[in-house]
Amino acid sequence: MNHSFIDEHSHIDSFLNRLDARTKIISFFTLILFIILSRPDAYFGFALYTLLLIILIIFSQIPLSYILKRCLVVLPFILMTSALLPFGQQGESIVLMKVGDMSIRVAAAGWLIFKGVLIKGVLSIICLTLLTASTPFSELLAALEALKCPKIITMILSFMYRYVFLIEDEAMKMRRAMKSRSAGHSRWLQLKAIANMIGVLFIRSYERGETVYLAMCSRGFDGTIKRDHSFDFKKTDYAFATNLFVILIGIKFLDNIFGR
Amino acid sequence: MHIPDGFLAANTWLPAWLISAGSLGYCIKKASRMLQDRIIPLMGIMSAFIFAAQMINFPVIGGTSGHLFGGVLVSVLLGPYAGAIVLSCVLIFQCLLFQDGGLLALGANIFNMAIIGTIGGYIIFRTAQKIMDKKKGFFIASAIAAWLSVVLAAACCALELAVSGVSPLRVVLPAMVGIHALIGIGEAIITVAVLSFVQKVRPDLIYCETPISKAQRNC
Repeated sequence: MNHSFIDEHSHIDSFLNRLDARTKIISFFTLILFIILSRPDAYFGFALYTLLLIILIIFSQIPLSYILKRCLVVLPFILMTSALLPFGQQGESIVLMKVGDMSIRVAAAGWLIFKGVLIKGVLSIICLTLLTASTPFSELLAALEALKCPKIITMILSFMYRYVFLIEDEAMKMRRAMKSRSAGHSRWLQLKAIANMIGVLFIRSYERGETVYLAMCSRGFDGTIKRDHSFDFKKTDYAFATNLFVILIGIKFLDNIFGR
Repeated sequence: MHIPDGFLAANTWLPAWLISAGSLGYCIKKASRMLQDRIIPLMGIMSAFIFAAQMINFPVIGGTSGHLFGGVLVSVLLGPYAGAIVLSCVLIFQCLLFQDGGLLALGANIFNMAIIGTIGGYIIFRTAQKIMDKKKGFFIASAIAAWLSVVLAAACCALELAVSGVSPLRVVLPAMVGIHALIGIGEAIITVAVLSFVQKVRPDLIYCETPISKAQRNC
């Protein structure tokens, strides 16, 4: 069955992929923070952030088409959430669109916020995509653990990652079987069939969880998963983190001078 | 309902992160007391199950289709604490791997869906079940709780957007609540249908008291 595997590009041997996962998490978190905290009309700054991201994408050697594809998948959700924003603000209004005699007017303040939010949203999605596409998921979890994320959460997530494709496969198979048998059924019957399907999926997953737990116990599981992953900060990590931070401060500074 | 990055101001996402982290820590403590070291494989696979179940689209009114949110379903099946952990893990997973919901907004998303939607939904379910206390009470209560959990989570989301100053409350609240009042109907129907199936086939797996299993359990 078709899955969108997420870290398929994480084994490319490129500059960004070789960096320590902790460095990447902290760096990208800071980058997102800087983007989020800029003014909604800091277009000069946004342009510089875009440039920075393009340079990072080049460093990562991840195909640009992949990043754009991932953005396109999420974009409708952002648009849906932000569709409300231009409306209902006080103040003078601007004409958005003219259709014959009718014109759609929105408040200028709301339109400004809408544009700012949209740009910020897309830029932070590119950041996150770049982070997760350039890091194998297991390494990402190990890094989160090293950064004091509760161990139990990272362990649950690592299990989830192991089983999610399996269970999704099962769901897809059941769905296909259902479709091939219940063509033309009324909506109500379909709904019932889907509910039963989810119920079966729950019972099977639960039973699988129990079996897996027993299998783990018989192999000496004592409540923790041991990782043989060790981290070491290299010179390039320090260089990358400090350079990025300096660049971010620089962008903020330049935007304050030229952006107004 | 996943809020992306850029929508929330620091006065919203920062407190939301703190509240979510605190509540999640409490949930983990409570759930690991009940499940002991079974918690890791079981919660992991249950998160994978909810993730897969959320992918399944079902037809709703008109030509539209909706998908399960699963907050009340999972809290009735596994209990409120385990349910909140499962939903949070699903949200973290979606954020990290599918960029569905932002990294800084993750705290707010966990608060809306895992804390309000799941634990809040469970409290509504328990209260409704106690009030009715009849054979049908279990299903009516889960339907009400499922509908309300979706609406409440949407209202919280609207409140956060308003506090962040991106949209006035009088616009965003009716819009969000209105849309999700419709989505919630699908959620209620599918939740009841799934629960009635599991209750018929494996009533022992349900955490809460069902009409069949009257045996007193720690619920």
